[in-house]
Amino acid sequence: MMGFTVTDLHKKYGDKVVVDHLSFRMDQPGVYALLGTNGAGKTTSIRMILNMLSRDSGTVEWNGGPLTLDTCNVGYLAEERGLYPKNTLMDQLMYFASLRGVPRADAKKRISYWAERLEATEYLFPPAVNGRKPKPKKADQLSKGNQQKIQLMLALLSDPELIILDEPLSGLDPVNTDLFKSIIHEEIEKGKYLIMSSHQMATIEEFCTDLTILNRSKTVLQGNLAEIKKSYGRINLFIKTEQDIKPQIEAAGVKILSSVGFSYQCRVTGDEQANALLKTLVADGITLVAFELREPSLHEIFVEKVGDAHEEA
Amino acid sequence: MKKPETLRGTGTVFRYTLAQHYKTMSVRIFLIVLFVLAIASFPIIKAVSGDKQEVTETSVTRLYLRNETPFALTADDIHSDSRYKDVELTPTEADDTALAKLLNEEESAAAAVIAPAENGMGFTLNTYFGEQSKIGYDDASTLADVLEDGLHEAMLRSLNVTAEQEVTVRCRAMAQVATVTDYLRGTSVETDTGTHAMINLVYSYIVLILSALSMSYIFQLCMEEKVSKLVESLLVSVSPTALLIGKILAASCMIFLGIGIDAIGLVISYQIAYSGSGTGILAMIFEKFMGLSISGLHLSIGMLLLAVLCILLAYAICAAFSGIVGSCCSKTEDTQQASLAVVMFIMIGYLAASLTPAAESDAVNIFCALFPLTSIFTALPNFICGKIGLPVFALALLIQAVTAFLLARLAGAVYRMMLLYRGNVPKPRELFRMLRENRASAKGKEDAHEG
Repeated sequence: MMGFTVTDLHKKYGDKVVVDHLSFRMDQPGVYALLGTNGAGKTTSIRMILNMLSRDSGTVEWNGGPLTLDTCNVGYLAEERGLYPKNTLMDQLMYFASLRGVPRADAKKRISYWAERLEATEYLFPPAVNGRKPKPKKADQLSKGNQQKIQLMLALLSDPELIILDEPLSGLDPVNTDLFKSIIHEEIEKGKYLIMSSHQMATIEEFCTDLTILNRSKTVLQGNLAEIKKSYGRINLFIKTEQDIKPQIEAAGVKILSSVGFSYQCRVTGDEQANALLKTLVADGITLVAFELREPSLHEIFVEKVGDAHEEA
Repeated sequence: MKKPETLRGTGTVFRYTLAQHYKTMSVRIFLIVLFVLAIASFPIIKAVSGDKQEVTETSVTRLYLRNETPFALTADDIHSDSRYKDVELTPTEADDTALAKLLNEEESAAAAVIAPAENGMGFTLNTYFGEQSKIGYDDASTLADVLEDGLHEAMLRSLNVTAEQEVTVRCRAMAQVATVTDYLRGTSVETDTGTHAMINLVYSYIVLILSALSMSYIFQLCMEEKVSKLVESLLVSVSPTALLIGKILAASCMIFLGIGIDAIGLVISYQIAYSGSGTGILAMIFEKFMGLSISGLHLSIGMLLLAVLCILLAYAICAAFSGIVGSCCSKTEDTQQASLAVVMFIMIGYLAASLTPAAESDAVNIFCALFPLTSIFTALPNFICGKIGLPVFALALLIQAVTAFLLARLAGAVYRMMLLYRGNVPKPRELFRMLRENRASAKGKEDAHEG
């Protein structure tokens, strides 16, 4: 059976459960999102998936067999990431390539490709100054963002089948964020399996097809993102006008979530309530600048689910 | 069935760790300094201690001899040494002032005064040469040795001792103590307590220095990935066991390469200082610096190889222990506390081993040779000195090998478990509780896969 399956992953420290029977599967290439609040168990789950942490129960399978160093070529960008500060970048990249069994000549080509792709050529192949060969760059001579590029190179150097990215965009400036995003898109197009964990819901929403939301070690929502959104229906209504329409909104029984000037964020029960409000506004001769009925964003779903779980707790 | 964890990548980790170590400028400078110091050591020792150069040709043509003893030295006594066969012996009764005048006039003349010692015990033998003389200290000192032998011959002659009797008189008995089994085998030699203590002390010191040197390397290597936050990225490429083994092997290589460089430097140094002396470097070290006769110890190439094996086993035990403690450290500050634990562990063994010879008890010797902590310091010295037999020594080596293996496995488990640990260094009880929990989890995982 092709794909990636996590079944009944469970971990506790003493009496404290940190991952509570997590299960999910990816039958086809794409992006699976692991979302959750701080301390929800995302990173612990990833570490258990990668056999870095022992698990109390559960299995992780890759193409029908246990996922190990020998059975799956994994690329991992950890949340807690670093480099050997005093070693040269090239040495570190060659070291990782060698550990992953990439032949030396191949590794050099791949490093060259990724250096260009990640706009890091000047650090890995510094140009000669006044005809003199410059000293190779060490990790501690790079900015945090540039170090992150090298870390992404380490993760992708072996051309992995399964890529796990834990908070891949944290700490990046907008330019590098776009660069990283474009690389993630490329990997998706290449047919890779990606697991992403992030707090940036907009980013996740851009990539993922399926997701699990964790809260305090428990799975609070799981499934296909499009279906989850569909199940919520189009209940978010944004209206922008040139005059005050609060009385009309309240008369229609629509809940105002927030308002700034004559812009209103509202929650409707469905299409019918929204249509009724629209008719009223048109009949009242209100000038509509915007009237948008849409599904809830991932951010809203996350806040709602995690908020509900907090209330239940 | 549980699959053995892959060791793939051990060689890569080893090569990378070693290469990065030797790429550091300070390390290269340190090795060069070490080598230069080793080369300089024997000539410096020789110069400081005033050791004489081996004289092959003398500048002495005449020797004024004032012999105040009743034993008559003849020219033959001096000419028996081929280097002094052309020296003209001139007996004299001149006083010191007259002798000094003679020596200052003749640049190739020396004088010797043999007189009874003031305390009545034996004789004094003083050899002089002029201020402007061609004769050097080494030449005069060698001549004094020849005269000393000559005086001894003269004493024997005065007693009418024949050549056969002289051989008998000069013959020394070598004391040996052994069990009847070893005696019948003819292999055992037991040395005195002083020799045993000295060998024990020197060997223990070598093990102590090796362990202490490796400790800091191993601590640093165990923490390197944690401190640089690279550990998670590495663990998808290489197993913790392979990572640890590669690193400990690299640390061992660093230590033994340093020692190898030092040893080569010492051999070169010895050749510079004592070439042609006819004494081997080991004999020189034993006899000169430890006051021991190498011939009484039955040292052989086999024994030296055994010594290397023992040192490697001792190193493996200390390195594995350092690996366990080093794996518990998360930050540089933790190493102070951790190194104290390792130093205490090693020092307890070292001190106990140092006191063993004083006990002069077979039971203590056997216990210390078999108990792993003291065995690494005492098994070999006890065997060399004949304090334990071959079966006990073989058992001691086996126990050391098993201990090293078990400690290495434990180090692997602790390293694997503590790689992602962030916090204070756990106490031993806490560490073992974590290990038990971890093992239970691993068993659960195994069962789940089998299910």
